Amino acid sequence: MSTSTSEKASGETKKVTLKSCDDVEFKVDIPVANVGESDQSIPLPNVSEKVLKKVLEWCEHHVNDPQPTNDDDDSRRRNTEIDDWDQRFLNVEQDMLFEIILAANYLDIKPLLDIGCKTVANMIKGKSPEEIRTTFNIVNDFTPEEEEQIRKENEWAEDR
Amino acid sequence: LAELLNSCNTEQLVFVSNFISPRLKRDFLKDLPIELSLHILSFINDPKTLSRASSVSKFWRSLLNDEFTWKNLCVRHHFRRRSSIAPVLPPSLTFESPASKCGKFSYKDHFRRRYIVESNWKHGGRTLVTHISPDSGVVTSLQMCQNYIVVGMDNKKIHVFDVSDGNYIKTLTGHEGGVWALQYIDEVLVSGGCDREVRVWDIITAECKYVLHGHTSTVRSLKMKDKTIAVSGSRDATLRVWNIEEGRLLHLLAGHQASVRCMEICGDIVVSGSYDCTARVWNIVTGECLHILQGHYSQIYSIAFDGDKIVTGSLDSTARVWSCQTGFCLGVLQGHTSLVGQLQLHESILVTGGSDGAIRIWDLETNQCVQNIAAHDNSVTCLQFDEKRIVSGGNDGHIKLWDIETGEFIREMTTSGNAVWRLAFQETKAVVLLQREGKTVMEVLDFDALETQN
Repeated sequence: MSTSTSEKASGETKKVTLKSCDDVEFKVDIPVANVGESDQSIPLPNVSEKVLKKVLEWCEHHVNDPQPTNDDDDSRRRNTEIDDWDQRFLNVEQDMLFEIILAANYLDIKPLLDIGCKTVANMIKGKSPEEIRTTFNIVNDFTPEEEEQIRKENEWAEDR
Repeated sequence: LAELLNSCNTEQLVFVSNFISPRLKRDFLKDLPIELSLHILSFINDPKTLSRASSVSKFWRSLLNDEFTWKNLCVRHHFRRRSSIAPVLPPSLTFESPASKCGKFSYKDHFRRRYIVESNWKHGGRTLVTHISPDSGVVTSLQMCQNYIVVGMDNKKIHVFDVSDGNYIKTLTGHEGGVWALQYIDEVLVSGGCDREVRVWDIITAECKYVLHGHTSTVRSLKMKDKTIAVSGSRDATLRVWNIEEGRLLHLLAGHQASVRCMEICGDIVVSGSYDCTARVWNIVTGECLHILQGHYSQIYSIAFDGDKIVTGSLDSTARVWSCQTGFCLGVLQGHTSLVGQLQLHESILVTGGSDGAIRIWDLETNQCVQNIAAHDNSVTCLQFDEKRIVSGGNDGHIKLWDIETGEFIREMTTSGNAVWRLAFQETKAVVLLQREGKTVMEVLDFDALETQN
């Protein structure tokens, strides 16, 4: 009750301060940050300024989204769609995408974690092993014999 | 740095670009915590991508062997470890992997096998065995489950085949008229036919244990409650409840005014459909008639019963849904333009086959027809469905496979004939009985994974 009165009095939403690992402070609307009220700044020792800025941009855009239901893991996975805004948002260097996934996990922002992981999954889908290696700069550490063995084992899943 | 790059020529820039771009890449699956890597993989639905990913590097391979990913995939593809309709996937003789060798369940192996089985259903599988009967008897009844395929013929014979390889085992002879109905549980087989007798057999010894007399006309339908109780329905308008262990009559269920054409048992309840246009609900234990289901305008030819709902198919070209508890009619399913001769009910899904050649899929939550398939040029003579597919046979000689979700035609199961009499399938096998070039033909089709471990 007191919160709503004070909000009306000040005419704006309450803010909270988040602090990145490189000591940059962000004043954020509480609903955006989705945290409780706090007078002190909240330190986020695992998230850099650059990444936190990006994550907060996402949170602001999605502030009015319905809360995801945590219990329905399978329906989260079934939905492989990523909307246009999110696709553009995640069209970043792999390093940044990597950091966003880590931050989303650390900050427990499940929808962001999911679209981040989906984005990586989409980078894997439909590619040959060599194309996957190129995409992620991975060294092939199999011997030719091992490769042949794996190819045989996997024959069943190729087009039939 | 910008100045330096500005002073570079194209060749140098390409070099710089090739030098830098790999450094901007990340091996996500390796560098992320393992639970996040698995989360990424959980968004991949197709096994082809997953198996290709497993040949990227040693680390990816070890990650892709994680049970979590394959368990998810099993769930997503509805490859349950147990199927509620079909029996549990039998152990495969030809398909082994390191995990199955040491007796441990592996989701990856399970997925792999189920995936191959599904693919074989869609694309062909193989014909395990083809039996061509020298005499051209008409097949009247078929059961495939557990160990045997049992076929009843109008030429008085009952043939028994091995379900695992489709090979002929033996013939049970004794009936003096055509066999019209049969059922077996384990080694106990009960049959009935034109000679008005019900016979109880031991399949293993081929011995006829009892010849049960009483019916005064052809036994047209027959069901076993268990290895002790069987119920027979006859053209004499009665049903008889038998103790087949001791070979004696327990109850005579009289009330129908015409031939008893079909019946179904669930628990202590037997429901019977008759040419008198009614169905009746009986208590097997007391012999009491609990309900008379009136509404059809013509003969009842088919019946399905799950303990709660009863569905009857009639010559009046409708199917009706009834409550077993109250005997009330819950719905009239209209759409077929001719006799509804085939019915199968599972949970809220009903599939009907008509003499109009159509197959209809109904949702019994709403009693609405959700799919109407123009399946055959002539009567649908047999059909079966499970959670993925419908297999139907018609008087046009074709055996067709359909997707139950979409109603789409997938393929013809085998070379067509003059007419299809009966079919049955399990997860990895199907048996069809048809007339081809004037001969009685039985084909056993196999969809199991054949490959052996490399």
